[in-house]
Amino acid sequence: MKFSIIKDFLVAQYKIIRGNRFGMFGAVILLFFGTIALLAPYIAPHELWESLRDSGGKLAILRQPSLEFPLGTTAMGRDILSQLILATRTTVLIGLTSGLVSILIGANIGLLAGYYGGKLDEVFMRFTDIIYGMPFLPFLIVLISLFGRNIWFVIIAICCIIWRTSARVIRAQVMSIRQRQYIQAAKARGCSNFRIIYGHIMPNILPLLLLYTAFNIAWSVLAEAGASFLGFSDPNNITWGGMLYNLWISGKIRTAWWWFATPSICIILLVSALVFISRAYEEVANPRLKQR
Amino acid sequence: MQEFIIRRTIYTLFTIFAVATILFFIFRIMPGDPTAQVISPALDEASQARLKEAFGLDKPLYIQYALYLKGLVTLEWGRSFTTSKPVFDILKYRFWNTVFLMGAAMSFTLILGTALGMIMAWKRGGPLDVSATVSALVLQSAPPFVTGILFLMVLSYKLDLFPTGGMNTPGERLPTGIAMLFNKDFLHHLVLPAITTAFYYLATPMLIMRDSMLEVTGSDYIELAQAKGLSPATVMIKHAARNALLPVFTVSSVLIGFALGGQVIVEQVFSWPGMGQLMVEAASSHDYPVAQATFLLLAVLIVVLNLLADISYCYLDPRISVPGGKK
Repeated sequence: MKFSIIKDFLVAQYKIIRGNRFGMFGAVILLFFGTIALLAPYIAPHELWESLRDSGGKLAILRQPSLEFPLGTTAMGRDILSQLILATRTTVLIGLTSGLVSILIGANIGLLAGYYGGKLDEVFMRFTDIIYGMPFLPFLIVLISLFGRNIWFVIIAICCIIWRTSARVIRAQVMSIRQRQYIQAAKARGCSNFRIIYGHIMPNILPLLLLYTAFNIAWSVLAEAGASFLGFSDPNNITWGGMLYNLWISGKIRTAWWWFATPSICIILLVSALVFISRAYEEVANPRLKQR
Repeated sequence: MQEFIIRRTIYTLFTIFAVATILFFIFRIMPGDPTAQVISPALDEASQARLKEAFGLDKPLYIQYALYLKGLVTLEWGRSFTTSKPVFDILKYRFWNTVFLMGAAMSFTLILGTALGMIMAWKRGGPLDVSATVSALVLQSAPPFVTGILFLMVLSYKLDLFPTGGMNTPGERLPTGIAMLFNKDFLHHLVLPAITTAFYYLATPMLIMRDSMLEVTGSDYIELAQAKGLSPATVMIKHAARNALLPVFTVSSVLIGFALGGQVIVEQVFSWPGMGQLMVEAASSHDYPVAQATFLLLAVLIVVLNLLADISYCYLDPRISVPGGKK
């Protein structure tokens, strides 16, 4: 790929996001969380599992937000701000990895099934239907229960299921594009199938691809939060959902509103940022939406 | 039409069979000794061997598979590892609890969502449209346990308007059967979990209805209706909405599938004794027969609901020419 192509691509994406208020908001939030995730170990004021004492020497259990502990402390005396910052890294990592891998799977299945049709299409779609029949969170739970509480099993479990929606939608789009004239012309010229699929069709479904990339990452974050809240997460790598799980099992849900508010707001911000960005791409992929 | 229904039903059965098979293999390839989950290694050799035989764990894999399938069909789903109760009995009770909660939540979502979507399309671009879009998207971004806990904190703990969980007040017994649905205590406990689930999924039918309405209002027959002099409300409801509902129907089957999976969280937050909570309990305590059966039951429910939605869609939209059916 030449540099100019990549540059044009990036400029085009910037224009799409810039032209949409939702998209801008989403992009700013994403940048914010991305930066925190990158710099996490350097900006967290305290250790993750460190039980802290206040200036008087007492164990700082369940303190409300104050100057000393900007976001308060947990039932074990741990600083919530530090936990939040360090958890950002894990959450973003899981979301990005699962989201990107799942869109790779889904896009390729959709492209191949849509382009080749026939037997291949039937096999792929039957398989997709089977995956559609599996309830998402229970599958995650079963997998974690069987294989152990590890961050990689969470990622694998999410990737196994989330690709299903994008596969169907992309396949439908490819099927409509494949009849178009420029594809027929490319075939007549003797283009290889590979080149047609990845050189001609894929660039034309790019807004749809990016839309579902954003959605997949959003759904991954939500799924991971849900699984963590139920206790099916890696105890060594804290995520925002994991913080809420700790809150739930400590039984302090009635009183510790600060412990509840901060991870929840972070999850909501991150996911809605992704959803807003995907809405910006939706207007590109479906221009009729913009005129409405 | 008939051929289509038969084909779809066979296809559904095949999907269920495939999910059951996948489940069988997942539970067999897990690390560690599966027998250690059933049979305490502290027992002596003879007891262990006897228990192994009783649970069928010593037979070759393909025989275990055949026994597994046979057990599924004959409703012999094994016994729980933790309580030794037959799994079928446990599920029989929990199944309906989940179905009732789902039914309430989904009805609320679909009715409120389509109504809102219709109004939003009518007053397109106005403050209602924009604010509803944003709030729906934000609600969709909040995991159900966040909204659930928020409701709990505000409506239950602070204002004491609703109970904090469970299906009934401890000590009070609910009537069994249909009478339970009309019991005041039951309904009182149903409200919060139902709204929590409903709000989470509200965005989808709402936005789809809105987009569908906008597409429909450009059509000729709407122009004719307006030219006929019908009131805007009549045009909107009687003509536009009826036709705009179709995409909502298509998406509702997928929605119910997603919702069934997400029930786990809401049931856990509100301690609602349904299949979702059972799933979490079973998975945490490694009670594999229960976990396996619950998962399979959820999957079957999803697939069957999708099938029903597909079949009903055929009847609803006469424009679809089904291969082999009448046009």
